[in-house]
Amino acid sequence: MALKQVSSSKCFGGLQKVFEHDSVELKCKMKFAVYLPPKAETGKCPVLYWLSGLTCTEQNFISKSGYHQAASEHGLVVIAPDTSPRGCNIKGEEDSWDFGTGAGFYVDATEDLWKTNYRMYSYVTKELPQLVNDNFPVDPQRMSVFGHSMGGHGALICALKNPGKYKSVSAFAPLCNPVLCRWGKKAFTGYLGTDQSKWEAYDATYLVKSYPGPQLDILIDQGKEDEFLSDGQLLPDNFIAACTEKKIPVVFRLQEGYDHSYYFIATFIADHIRHHAKYLNA
Amino acid sequence: MEEGAGEAPGLGRSAASKDFRFYHMDLYDSQDRLQIFPEESTRMRREGVQAEMTHEPMRGGVKVKAPRDLGEEVDELVHLYGLEDDHELGDEFIEENTPRIEVSEYPSYMMMGSEQRDWRPTGEAAQGEDLGFMGWGSAGQCQDLREAYRYSHGRASEEYECYVIPEEEDEEEAADVFCVTCKTPIRASEKDQDEHKQHEVTPLSKALESAKDEIHKNMYKLEKQIIEMENFASHLEEVFITVEENFGRQEQNFESHYNEILETLAQKYEEKIQALGEKKKEKLEALYGQLVNCGENLDTCKELMETIEEMCHEEKVDFIKDAVAMADRLGKFLKTKTDEEISAQPDFEDQTLDFSDVEELMGSINTIPAPSAPVINPQAPNSATGSSVRVCWSLYSDDTVESYQLSYRPVQDGSPGKEQTEVTMTIKETYCSVTNLLPNTQYEFWVTAQNRAGLSPTSERAVYMTAPCPPIIKSKEIRSCEEAALISWESGNLNPVDSYTVELTQAETPGASGVTESVVGIPTCECLVQLQPRQNYTIYVRALNVGGPSARSEPATVHTTGSYFSLDEHTCHPRLTVSEDGLTVVRSERRGPAKEPVPSDAQFTRCAAVMGNLIPVRGRHYWEVEVDECLDYTVGVAFEDVPRQEDLGANRLSWCMRHAFASSRHKYEFLHNKMTPDIRITVPPKKIGILLDYENAKLSFFNVDISQHLYTFSCQLHQFVHPCFSLEKPGCLKIYNGISMPKHVTFY
Repeated sequence: MALKQVSSSKCFGGLQKVFEHDSVELKCKMKFAVYLPPKAETGKCPVLYWLSGLTCTEQNFISKSGYHQAASEHGLVVIAPDTSPRGCNIKGEEDSWDFGTGAGFYVDATEDLWKTNYRMYSYVTKELPQLVNDNFPVDPQRMSVFGHSMGGHGALICALKNPGKYKSVSAFAPLCNPVLCRWGKKAFTGYLGTDQSKWEAYDATYLVKSYPGPQLDILIDQGKEDEFLSDGQLLPDNFIAACTEKKIPVVFRLQEGYDHSYYFIATFIADHIRHHAKYLNA
Repeated sequence: MEEGAGEAPGLGRSAASKDFRFYHMDLYDSQDRLQIFPEESTRMRREGVQAEMTHEPMRGGVKVKAPRDLGEEVDELVHLYGLEDDHELGDEFIEENTPRIEVSEYPSYMMMGSEQRDWRPTGEAAQGEDLGFMGWGSAGQCQDLREAYRYSHGRASEEYECYVIPEEEDEEEAADVFCVTCKTPIRASEKDQDEHKQHEVTPLSKALESAKDEIHKNMYKLEKQIIEMENFASHLEEVFITVEENFGRQEQNFESHYNEILETLAQKYEEKIQALGEKKKEKLEALYGQLVNCGENLDTCKELMETIEEMCHEEKVDFIKDAVAMADRLGKFLKTKTDEEISAQPDFEDQTLDFSDVEELMGSINTIPAPSAPVINPQAPNSATGSSVRVCWSLYSDDTVESYQLSYRPVQDGSPGKEQTEVTMTIKETYCSVTNLLPNTQYEFWVTAQNRAGLSPTSERAVYMTAPCPPIIKSKEIRSCEEAALISWESGNLNPVDSYTVELTQAETPGASGVTESVVGIPTCECLVQLQPRQNYTIYVRALNVGGPSARSEPATVHTTGSYFSLDEHTCHPRLTVSEDGLTVVRSERRGPAKEPVPSDAQFTRCAAVMGNLIPVRGRHYWEVEVDECLDYTVGVAFEDVPRQEDLGANRLSWCMRHAFASSRHKYEFLHNKMTPDIRITVPPKKIGILLDYENAKLSFFNVDISQHLYTFSCQLHQFVHPCFSLEKPGCLKIYNGISMPKHVTFY
């Protein structure tokens, strides 16, 4: 699993790099971004995974969110993978922006057409962490995950499906209950088939109901002017209700005036980095 | 003998002997002290007692030549043998001894550098032997004497040997051990031989060391003695000067007194003489008058006699005529009484001379004048306690004082009519600690000195003040944080005091210095003291006035872990009750006002709220509030002047988290100026952590149990804020403070 450095730029004393490698899970070349804080020069750092939303690559987050300063200060290695396999020549792969390329939905596909390459869940929870642990000065015991929109959904399910693996989780405008929203239905149908009971394994609201695990502190920021919120794609209330019922600690902040964009993310990214740092650096 | 000194025999010996100083004397035992012979012995020796001595050994060859004064000879023999002892030690001393003994083999004078020596034999015993040998003079007896002398000199010889020890004769074969018994250094090789065989030996270095120690000890003693003597000498000097001064003063005193007496006597003499002269003149004048009178009478009588005689020679007729006239005249004359009493007595009246005033003057020479008024000192700083002052005064150096009368009374503070009692006491010293006084009170003191001549005038009056009572720390009102504590206290004194001092000691912590720090000059009954974080301090307060500091107050304890405050009942809404410890606020179930509402500016009137009195120190403050999940409450901070008739969070002067529980739904608001972000919290906190951070202008709320951050206000805190709490429904809030800030909190 040789890594090929695509770029490297100094940023807030650390280095923002992009690597390319041949993914075993996805059976294609994958790029991912790595931010190495100054602290990584002298010791192992905790690692924070960012899962991006629909249509994104590794570039959106690292170029738009402005997370570097907070990550540099807290000494966190931040990994930002791509959102789906690319160039797998699967029929219909490029047909729509909310399915296929750029829309991996962080599931391991079971449908024949997609199951070979679209294993983003395994990629972000297993292959990529292994790769990172092997190649960068990180402490494997200290990892957390966060994401935006579809990536927020990914972050929540990664944390909820792997109790104890992630020290903390947070999300910006996540798809909280994809089973019940159009994006989710489309994607799950495409990747997992029509058996809706299989979908629940990738639905945060369902996963919370059976979450057994250790204490998880979930921070969710949601723009109040987010068009997808009013469109019923995100459904945070369902998730909050489930968490309230299961006494899973969530602080959900409905941010007045913010939309779904990276401007919204950039506004609160520091809060989220701190949220994770609190657990990663405890 | 003396001839060796170049003098003719028999001439000036006495004088010569007196002038000589035998400088080796000190090498010998003190018994060898040179003594001047009494004059008669000198004279006897002049008669030809001469001794000679050779350089040859004289042991056994000594012969006494007759005729000689035996006593003298014995005396000299003793010296000879004394010398013999010395010869055994070192022949170089020979020449310096001058035995007057003639040795038969050497008739001529052979003395070299000899001199007249007048020796007394070795002390009383030898002198006794001296007498015992009178008239004997045999050699055997001399031998006995020699033995006796040796005996008496034995000790001296040993001591002499001691002085020789340090000299090392042979460098190559240096002595390396020390024979303790013989007190001499020997070579180790000698140890097994000869006389040291049985003796105790020590290494020479050790012996040297102990000898040095001994010497140093002695030196030390000597030094001490020198110092003592110097001190004594300077003391003597002082005494000398004092005596000189005192006597000088007494001389002056006497002189003036005697002059006074003489003047008085002279004056008296003048007066007496004058009186006497006047008396004399008066008497003489009287007598002279009488004498003149008497003469006139006599003349008259004579004239009458003559007239009568003439009449007798006249004729009868004329005679008769004249006789009748004469008889009349005579009768008339005789009727006038001749004054034969002496008008003035020749001797004068018994005049008593009055010397009483002179006697008094004479008497006053030996008595002393009454002292002048002492000078009372102003109060020395820090000399008073709460119940006593130390009063000091001084006298004029010329005065002799037997005792002082110290009087005092409290200074009246403008409340006339109340007669303050005066107290007087007799004191020998020039100071007095006056006890049993009232604290923080001014007293007026004055003093008079007295001796047997009488009382001095009173001194000026000085006002002294007793120290104040110790203040009383308001332990319940102590507020603290990690860097400081705000201590307040009650004065404990009715009158104002000058200032207060706060003393603080770190207590019972490992690494605590134990040093007491003081903050002085505090004008009010409150002090903010800077402290080290996470320490325990014991704090005392003292009150001060000109008299000095009071005793320490009862101690108060401060822990600089976290911030500590209690609820301020003055702000408490009537429906709320603050617990005894000031850390729990309760809203009871009862309807209607629980208490009679006491209108107060500080009191909350609209929302059932109460404020805590957080220490006014910028920095970070953290406290926790235990709440009921279902309770409607508001917790946060507010400026001191937050409107009491408004809800907390309803204005720009307060920042609060409000919880409302309705239809099994929890609603959390983070209110400032009536606005709140839309925040949902899935797990209702049972304990809320509140972090007030002045530096970063932030106020954060946490769910303590799960270390969850709930919300952070950014707030411009241009002045100090206080924690505030309100209960919208019956229930209670319990405050936890004085706790360390949890780690998770430090991220915000």
